Amino acid sequence: MSKIAVVTDSNSGITQKEAKELGLYVLPMPFMIGDDTYYEDVNLTQEQFYELLLGGESISTSQPSPEEVCKLWDSLLQEYDEIVHIPMSSGLSGSCQSAYFLAQEYDDKVQVVDNQRISVTQRQSCLDALELVKQGKDAKYVKEFLEADKFNSSIYIMLDTLQYLKKGGRITPAAAAIGTLLKIKPVLQIQGEKLDAFSKARTVSQGKSVMMNAIKNDVETRFGGILPAPGGVWLEIAHTQNLEAAMELKEELLQVFPGYDVYIAPLSLSVSCHIGPGALAIACCKKISL
Amino acid sequence: MSYQVIDAKLLAKLFLAGSKNLESKKEYINELNVFPVPDGDTGTNMTMTIMSAAKEVNELGENPSMEALCKAISSGSLRGARGNSGVILSQLFRGFTKVIKTYDSLNACVLTEGFDKAVETAYKAVMKPKEGTILTVAKGIADKAKELSSEGVTDLEDFAGKVLEHGKYVLSQTPELLPVLKQAGVVDSGGQGLIEVLSGAYDALLGKEVDFSVAAESSADKPATTQENLVEIDVKYGYCTEYIILLNKNFNVKTEMDFKAYLESIGDSIVCVCDGETVKIHVHTNDPGLAIQKGLKFGQLTNLKIDNMRLEQEEKLKKAAQKAEVQAAAVAEKPAEPPKKVGFIAISAGEGLSEIFKSIGVDYVIEGGQTMNPSTADILDAVDKVNAENVFVLPNNKNIILAARQAAELMTDKNLLVIPTKTIPQGITAVINYMDGSSVDENEEMMISEIGKVKTGQITYAVRDTVIDDKEIKKDDYMGVGDNGILANGTDLTEVVLNTVAAMVGSDSELISVYYGSDVTEEDAEKIREKIADAYPNLDVELQNGGQPIYYYLVSVE
Repeated sequence: MSKIAVVTDSNSGITQKEAKELGLYVLPMPFMIGDDTYYEDVNLTQEQFYELLLGGESISTSQPSPEEVCKLWDSLLQEYDEIVHIPMSSGLSGSCQSAYFLAQEYDDKVQVVDNQRISVTQRQSCLDALELVKQGKDAKYVKEFLEADKFNSSIYIMLDTLQYLKKGGRITPAAAAIGTLLKIKPVLQIQGEKLDAFSKARTVSQGKSVMMNAIKNDVETRFGGILPAPGGVWLEIAHTQNLEAAMELKEELLQVFPGYDVYIAPLSLSVSCHIGPGALAIACCKKISL
Repeated sequence: MSYQVIDAKLLAKLFLAGSKNLESKKEYINELNVFPVPDGDTGTNMTMTIMSAAKEVNELGENPSMEALCKAISSGSLRGARGNSGVILSQLFRGFTKVIKTYDSLNACVLTEGFDKAVETAYKAVMKPKEGTILTVAKGIADKAKELSSEGVTDLEDFAGKVLEHGKYVLSQTPELLPVLKQAGVVDSGGQGLIEVLSGAYDALLGKEVDFSVAAESSADKPATTQENLVEIDVKYGYCTEYIILLNKNFNVKTEMDFKAYLESIGDSIVCVCDGETVKIHVHTNDPGLAIQKGLKFGQLTNLKIDNMRLEQEEKLKKAAQKAEVQAAAVAEKPAEPPKKVGFIAISAGEGLSEIFKSIGVDYVIEGGQTMNPSTADILDAVDKVNAENVFVLPNNKNIILAARQAAELMTDKNLLVIPTKTIPQGITAVINYMDGSSVDENEEMMISEIGKVKTGQITYAVRDTVIDDKEIKKDDYMGVGDNGILANGTDLTEVVLNTVAAMVGSDSELISVYYGSDVTEEDAEKIREKIADAYPNLDVELQNGGQPIYYYLVSVE
């Protein structure tokens, strides 16, 4: 049986510390702030990031450099036979494309997964990958499995403001066109490629109920129904500097999905940078069946 | 002269007489509005409805067939229908003509059957028929007709007289059926309108002289939207002439009468007001020189102004024609684009509100609302301009919902869906809750359920003394009108706004939106916003320039 390493980037929300515990490897995403380059969770914490963002610093995201990627792969291949590489969604970043390109040099040893996940759903993909590896599947099988599974997840994100989104250009025109005169909290969805508009709300509780109904509807119609706990889906809540609201949302989510596990994590920074603080997201992934 | 039957020619005459009489009483009917808000326009709405039919009847010429006449009355009033009473009136006509169109002449029995069908049709058109309204009056009339025909009354003068008498009696009883009418001390305005129509027709039946012509400038031709449908009006006197005389001679009642008489000999639209030291003169005349010379005899003149009204009129027509051309060109180019799936039409008054609606995705805004309810035809025209398979209409006023529903029924090539929004904030809520990915039906259901979650308060002034919801209201008081009645009233605008908001905010409220009207300055509005924000530190308060007339502030709480 070949030895397989699972690699992802820091968009999965998996910290360096957690990576060690789980037994996988995380490439930190670089950020250009002013003239300096920072690496998520290496020399840039969530707190520092928001402080800079709110302070009006212009923050731009980048992809891990080819050098960094190859260095990690090379060192891993000393120890492992194959690598499953799970980068952030190809709809939101060129990371996936670059990794795919680099992987050509590694024959079939590095399998780059293009399954358009991000944040908590990307994290779940990594956990699924670890599980598949444990089952003795090879890297190619894991890649194909995860790619076939890519649409079995949903994310809904309620933004506190449109301000950061407009700057970024990482949204479809439909989402960008959402009202400007009124204060509106857009609810966006990620079902694959880009962030797209889903609905709108004027208050937080309206927005939460929109997301809640949407997730409920997805589970009922696409992911096998609301089964008794532990259920057939993983539920996740992501937030940007909004832990208290996220905890509250968890309680509300448990009313609809009693007894389910709900994982809460801060939204990864390269998404946060386009969304700004105060956002809340609900996500779900269908549990994989082996 | 006594009649046993009414033929089409006579019926046309009676209909026009009824229309004319309603038009002459419309101001009076406007004032019968229960809510003393300055939007009492039942008379205007009913008049516009009936005039749209009268115009079509007029075009039929001297000897119309019964069928053509019925079609003119029915389709003319349906398309011209405005406001709830207007829609109900059009439905009464629709039912009535459905029966009579198959007869060449009408006797008491046919009329009775027609009245019966009219009432049945109108009741069906209203989702929750309320007694003490125009419906009750119509029903009373139909019942009386039934009673008279079963007694064998065939003389139509006798028949009509008794029916009308009973209708008036039922109208007088409407306050007993609707407590709001009783408290306000008025009879139902829609019922009064119906009685005016029948009275006019009855007078004509008796042979009293009525002017049957429908004047070109009659209100039927004034559209709720802009001046697009300008009609060529023959300007009789060409110059609008105004000046003020600084008196150096005595100007008593006698001189004033002489002066007016002189002006009347050279023109019309005369104003002649004297305050002891100055006299203000306004006249439309073909010879402004004469008017000025006359004034010079009493002192120096100031603030002179002479406008050529003929040129102005031509200019307006030219502009209207240009606009129509541009629109026609736009329409001609349009069909190239495939229709989108869903479009939105909102009815709203004020530039700010229009902008807000457009910014959240509304395709077309019909200017209208409180003072000018768009007709069924206005709504249909707007739907034509929206290139979509399904069009959601947001009436944003309780008095426009029926006309919108009527438009939906007349619409054939597009799916028109009315979301029964009663206020502007409800309309905004509806659009915001639209979800692109969901089906039209799901969206309709969603929007209807969401509009119930926003509370609206509208701040305006009282146009007369009244008692409503056990609150005594004086003329010119400020009032906050909520979704279910008056929330606050008083003489201090700020206080009334704050009390209105206080009556709306609940423990689960999160956002207060304030839309200020055209009569409020931005500074004053900002002060109000600060006061509200101070009173509710945990709520978001948002201020928007609505620019709406009549309502100083529209407030929503959600």
